[in-house]
Amino acid sequence: MAGSALRAWRQSARSAETSSTIFLILRRMRAPLIVLITIFAVSVLGLTLIPGRDEAGHAVRMGFFDAFYFMSYTATTIGYGEIPHPFTGGQRLWVMATIYLTVIGWAYAIGSLLTLLQDRGFRQALALQRFTRTVARLREPFLLVVGYGQTGQLLGRSLDAIGRRFVVLDASGERVDVLDIDSYHADVPGLAADAGNPQALGVAGLEHPRCEGVLALTDDDEVNLVVAMTAALLRPELPVIARTVSPAIEQRMRAFGSPAVVNPFDRFGDHLRVALRSPASYQLMSWLESGPGAQLPPRGRPPTAGRWVICGYGRFGKKLAEDLRAEGLDLTVMDLRPDATPEPGIVVGDACEPAVMARAELEDAVGFVAGTDNDTTNLSLIAAARRINPALFIASRQNRPASAPLFAAMETDRLLVPTETVAREIYAQLSTPLLWRFLQDMPARGDDWAAGIIERLTRHCGDRLGSVWKIALTRRDAPALEPYVRTGDATVGGLLRSPQDRDQAVAAVPLLLQRDAGTILGPGDDVTLEPGDELLLAGRPSARRALLDTMTHHAVSEYVLTGRTVPSGWLWQRVTGKVPRTR
Amino acid sequence: MSLEKVIFGFFVLLAATLNFGFFIGDLSDPSLHNVYELFAAVVVSLIATVLKFGDRTQIGAVHLATSLVADLQLIAAALVWGYATQISSAGLDGAAMASVVSLSGGALLANLVSVVLLVVETVSFHRR
Repeated sequence: MAGSALRAWRQSARSAETSSTIFLILRRMRAPLIVLITIFAVSVLGLTLIPGRDEAGHAVRMGFFDAFYFMSYTATTIGYGEIPHPFTGGQRLWVMATIYLTVIGWAYAIGSLLTLLQDRGFRQALALQRFTRTVARLREPFLLVVGYGQTGQLLGRSLDAIGRRFVVLDASGERVDVLDIDSYHADVPGLAADAGNPQALGVAGLEHPRCEGVLALTDDDEVNLVVAMTAALLRPELPVIARTVSPAIEQRMRAFGSPAVVNPFDRFGDHLRVALRSPASYQLMSWLESGPGAQLPPRGRPPTAGRWVICGYGRFGKKLAEDLRAEGLDLTVMDLRPDATPEPGIVVGDACEPAVMARAELEDAVGFVAGTDNDTTNLSLIAAARRINPALFIASRQNRPASAPLFAAMETDRLLVPTETVAREIYAQLSTPLLWRFLQDMPARGDDWAAGIIERLTRHCGDRLGSVWKIALTRRDAPALEPYVRTGDATVGGLLRSPQDRDQAVAAVPLLLQRDAGTILGPGDDVTLEPGDELLLAGRPSARRALLDTMTHHAVSEYVLTGRTVPSGWLWQRVTGKVPRTR
Repeated sequence: MSLEKVIFGFFVLLAATLNFGFFIGDLSDPSLHNVYELFAAVVVSLIATVLKFGDRTQIGAVHLATSLVADLQLIAAALVWGYATQISSAGLDGAAMASVVSLSGGALLANLVSVVLLVVETVSFHRR
């Protein structure tokens, strides 16, 4: 019952949007066309009724054929003259009237058509139709990106760089227009429509069989909730990643299926906790999250002992205070809102006033967080705090992208840019799910372990991150390794030898090994590989190519794993009797 | 009573009646078929077609289809008439007139279907 209703709704929605454009034209053109037909009919009829005169002076009437011919070239302003005989006074009088009439008729019809083409509704209908067609024609897996603000644009660029297709839906037409300006490799269809409307989501490909995920990235938590809800109800099997800054909305999202919810405020707190507990883990995390080519970030060490001051006690401030208290830190909170209720441990008042600032006792504090939702306030708070205590560890929140240079000039120790945090986080989840797994589990391994990984990475690929990629030890992806992996003759260390010289290792560091039985973080060289294992590696692109050889070429894998050199050609293999192991 | 419905019904019916008036009489006798009536039938049929534009219902689509058929037949009839009077050396003889009138007969059939549809639509509307 419910299923059939859903199907009927989908069908009617689809047929409605495809034919609406043509009906719109037809309906609006009714009046002008009828006026035109009537004017023509009256003119032609009049011409056939009014008596004319031939050269000999006999009275003749014009036939319909001649009359229609005459009207056709007169009305279209071509004008061949008076046929078949020069007109009489009466005929000329009538023709004079009809010329003006037909000009009005044409002007009206053409004007209506042009107005229709300029019409906003009509253009939207056309855009919708084109968008629907483009989305329906997509033959590759694509992501549905709802909300194309800062986060969406950042994420879109990274997704495009790794060759992922996506479709954009945003409430603002201007943002969708940005798609035309952004130079993407792939064609990105975009639609300006209310994302809270399930029908718009359907048009944007929510029910397309190739849709592989939905990203709800709008600024509006409510809309993100609706998107997550709609996706969970219409396509329960689709992965959904939603952004929100409100824990309440997060709870409501989790009520529908299991969307991955990204809360930038929450993440900042988590990251700060990781940074407090283990600076090397945080360094590795931010390096890997930054993507290929990123410079190794400096290892900042936030002060772990002493009192912190948090300015701003909204959603961000509350979340951060919670996280810092959980780390056992001493806190002073300043609430800048004028209507805030004074609580113990919370300083209320305008922090820009020196008297209020003094009450926070910044002189003996170690850390300062400027966490209001106003960039100007944050900047002036930082300046004021620095003047009182220059040694403070400063963390700040940057709300608008335009303020980026100002915060860069301020040289804060830790900066939260919510849009970037969300984009980076989602990129890590989408580009390499194994990397995401690694980042989740890594902080638990401690500071020394992370420092060790960073040391290995810098030794292999310098302080710029190469690529992070995944290999799967399956018969399809690694046919040359399959015989060794099946019998347990291959280890991680054996695999990572260089095909040029097996005494050298390729410039890649194994980050994570995933198998059905579980995951191994930073697998050692002696870990035995099993069929179906997936290995996450970070290293130089050349290492990636070398590994590809080892995985696909039997002669190379023979050399790398056993040290035996065999000819790669069939003939020489037979002549020398050295045949690589293929089973 | 909606004015739109009145105008719509008027033109559909007028197209059929004019067509009928032109069609009736001996097929090949030019004196029984007035060319003004053919002209009026063509014009009214065209207007009726335009009036049917942009109706999204199923019955509206069939309406439009029948009208287009009638237009096609009537325009073909007018073309034959034009050919016979202007180009053909034989002039408007019995054979030419017969083909003009029989073409308009086809249009008449389409117009009758239109009228039937109009009646069906009206009746089913009252039942609701």
